[in-house]
Amino acid sequence: MRSTDAITLTRFRASFADPHQLLEAVKRLKQEGYPVIDTYSPFPVHGMDEAIGLKPSRLPRACLAFGLLGLATALGVQIWTSAYDYPLIVGGKPLISLPAFIPVTFELTVLLAGLGVVGSLFVASGMRPKFKVPDLHPGVNDDRFVVAAEIQAGASFAGVEALMAGLGALETELLVDDKKQQDASLLDREAKPLAFLLAAAPAMLVLAALPLLNRNYLKRNLAWDGGMMAPVAYQAFDPHPSLPGGQVLQKPPAGTVSRKGLVPLSYGPGKAEAERAGLELKNPFQPSQENFSRGKLVYDRSCAACHGLDGDNNSSVIVARGLLAPAILVAPVVRNMPDGRIFHVTTFGGPEKMKGLGDLISREDRWKVVLYIRELQKAAAPKSSPVPAPANVPAPTPSTGATS
Amino acid sequence: MAPENHTATLPTPLLVEDEQERGYGHVLPLIDGNKTYSQVTEEVFSTTERMPPLKWWLALSVSLSLFLLGAWAVTQTVTRGIGTWGLNRTVGWAFDITNFVFWVGIGHAGTLISAILFLFRQRWRTSINRAAEAMTIFAVMCAGTFPIIHMGRPWLAFWATPYPNTRGPLWVNFKSPLLWDVFAISTYFIISLTFWYLGMVPDLATMRDRAKTKIRKAIFSIFSLGWNGSNRTWSRYETVYMLLAGLSTPLVISVHTIVSMDFATSVIPGWHATIFPPYFVAGAVFSGFAMVLTLMIIARNVMDLEEYITVRHLEAMTKVIIATGMIVGMAYGTEFFMAWYSGNDFERYVFLNRALGPFKWAYWSMVTCNVVIPQLFWIRKVRTTPWMIFILSIFVNIGMWFERFVIIVTSLHRDYLPSSWAMYTPTFVEVAIFLGSFGLFFTCFLIFTRLLPVIAASEVKGVLKHEEH
Repeated sequence: MRSTDAITLTRFRASFADPHQLLEAVKRLKQEGYPVIDTYSPFPVHGMDEAIGLKPSRLPRACLAFGLLGLATALGVQIWTSAYDYPLIVGGKPLISLPAFIPVTFELTVLLAGLGVVGSLFVASGMRPKFKVPDLHPGVNDDRFVVAAEIQAGASFAGVEALMAGLGALETELLVDDKKQQDASLLDREAKPLAFLLAAAPAMLVLAALPLLNRNYLKRNLAWDGGMMAPVAYQAFDPHPSLPGGQVLQKPPAGTVSRKGLVPLSYGPGKAEAERAGLELKNPFQPSQENFSRGKLVYDRSCAACHGLDGDNNSSVIVARGLLAPAILVAPVVRNMPDGRIFHVTTFGGPEKMKGLGDLISREDRWKVVLYIRELQKAAAPKSSPVPAPANVPAPTPSTGATS
Repeated sequence: MAPENHTATLPTPLLVEDEQERGYGHVLPLIDGNKTYSQVTEEVFSTTERMPPLKWWLALSVSLSLFLLGAWAVTQTVTRGIGTWGLNRTVGWAFDITNFVFWVGIGHAGTLISAILFLFRQRWRTSINRAAEAMTIFAVMCAGTFPIIHMGRPWLAFWATPYPNTRGPLWVNFKSPLLWDVFAISTYFIISLTFWYLGMVPDLATMRDRAKTKIRKAIFSIFSLGWNGSNRTWSRYETVYMLLAGLSTPLVISVHTIVSMDFATSVIPGWHATIFPPYFVAGAVFSGFAMVLTLMIIARNVMDLEEYITVRHLEAMTKVIIATGMIVGMAYGTEFFMAWYSGNDFERYVFLNRALGPFKWAYWSMVTCNVVIPQLFWIRKVRTTPWMIFILSIFVNIGMWFERFVIIVTSLHRDYLPSSWAMYTPTFVEVAIFLGSFGLFFTCFLIFTRLLPVIAASEVKGVLKHEEH
């Protein structure tokens, strides 16, 4: 190596076993006029920055800038989301309550300052994955302290070697701009597009977030996991793999009010089902004074508000307010319906307006209402005229009697 | 002290620290054994390059088993629901949040050692900071699992972050301390990880240079980021390290402050107190140092690191324990004074109930472990005897776990409505998750000790000062 011409071999490096010797060598080289390129050591040698003539790093400014960016981002996001995008009063606090925003602001400031300054260090010092490390002395990460410098014009390598040996150098060698070094720089060049992509990523994120400002609230967003939107709804009599007894419905807790052992109705809503009910179901109750009075009580409470006390639609609540008129119960259409069908409509609702009352009125009472409707129809049969209310039925709600 | 270990060619490092000038009475060495730089390299890195000994495998199998037990319990919780826990309508937070606060607290010592002691130029930190930072990261991982499991549907944990969503978008509530927690813990985790990694880059380069196999070389080439020991890089690196230390110091204080606000901003008697932030931070440092001591005393024995983690390190940490333990003890007293001075019946009752109620065993265990037993550290013999420190550190760990349990459960189980008073008993599933978190912690720690350098070699070399010629 040493026989090669000195024109390309203008750099050398010397290694020492001790940081003080390295510091001395650097000072000496500077004195003698050798331009020091850099030093390499297993740990930072104090005083070396001054000896080489390095200025203090400007990274603290990057740290401050990133910190301020974090601060602005945090405040901006919190104020925009809490007060503008989805204003929601929480705990009676103002929409923009700065004291409550301080913790998140602080955390994001620290986060961005920290990540930003480390990222800046990586960029400034070219720290990135490298499979061929440039200027690597094999012992530098162990116990060697290395200085690299240029040979002064006119000086010989032998002279340099002697100078270094005098300062305690373990070895001094010429540096060759060899192919390996070029390979390393080639790799770095290839890494540039990647670095560019990484740098552009935040900008892309910002661009991607812009459509947020102009959203169509009527359009449903994409959801990769429906979560609560699509619950698994079990039916009461479905089998269930992990519940006792293998089915969903469990023994009700103590104190539950009995529904008198009724089996569920085998009908669903709809006109076809209503017709089927009309064919299949029979009123289990016989006309009697007791059943009529119960039927009247329930009818007056739950049905009369719309259908009128006499089933003739003469209701002050619905028609007088111009709402859709309910069916006239004493009309021939209803009169010709079988009991089962009226019962079905009471339970599941009618084809257009009526809502099902199956959950509100017990099954027994619904049959008795059917009996009472038949009675109303009989009363209205000769001519549609109001029938005086029977005097022997008590009023459903306590009445003072003062206004009658 | 170990026998002198001179070599012919290399100058002998001396154990020098100028504490005597700063008024220290007795000085124990920072690093024992008169080591040379290459000895440090060899001793620190060779552990990562050979097969672990049998005792390591035994320890790993025990902690992996614990981890699997925890994994089973978490599966139970997720598939069968939170009903597998002993919580009820009155005590809605108990074991899970206790464990969360416990682990977050433990995490604090790592950053304290790496950041605050760095700023104060306490050079004894160099041989323990790597392991303490690793401990922080693993402890925060353990801590983070508890609130996530408590959510019931952990796969939706990302809902706690503000992102444009399908619900409006309905944003997270930035006025809630629980959300502050999300930000504080995740920032703390990310910054601690960055700090840990950055501090490790020079050592990773050493591992790369020592690597014998191609795969090993490739892996460490990626993570060592082309480190070549250049002074220009060192100069920037030190600046950034200092900045990160400066950022981490308020961060570590903010984290437990925010954790304490989960309680302090509520209206539950026993929680609603302005003393909470400093009280929690002191408690966190207290429990964190206890855990560092526990781990370090095991590590220095198992891995033959007595010359790196010396009695002097242990002694310095015991002093931190006395100081923070007394702050915590004073906080216990202050809480009682504030309850009495408030004139508030509910507040008074909660504190009487803590000391004399059905959970008094937990309260007095806490006082004994945290306030009484650490007083033994006033005796120098105790401070400098590793097995005694070890036992005392275990007591502090137990005591600090009880502190969180006492704060959380005794405040909740009897508050305003006597008709809603209830007791709390953990179920096996809850205990198993807690044990599982220890399994996770020790599994990570054991793998770390064999995969990466436990001692920050580049920093230790910096404190082996050479004899001036």
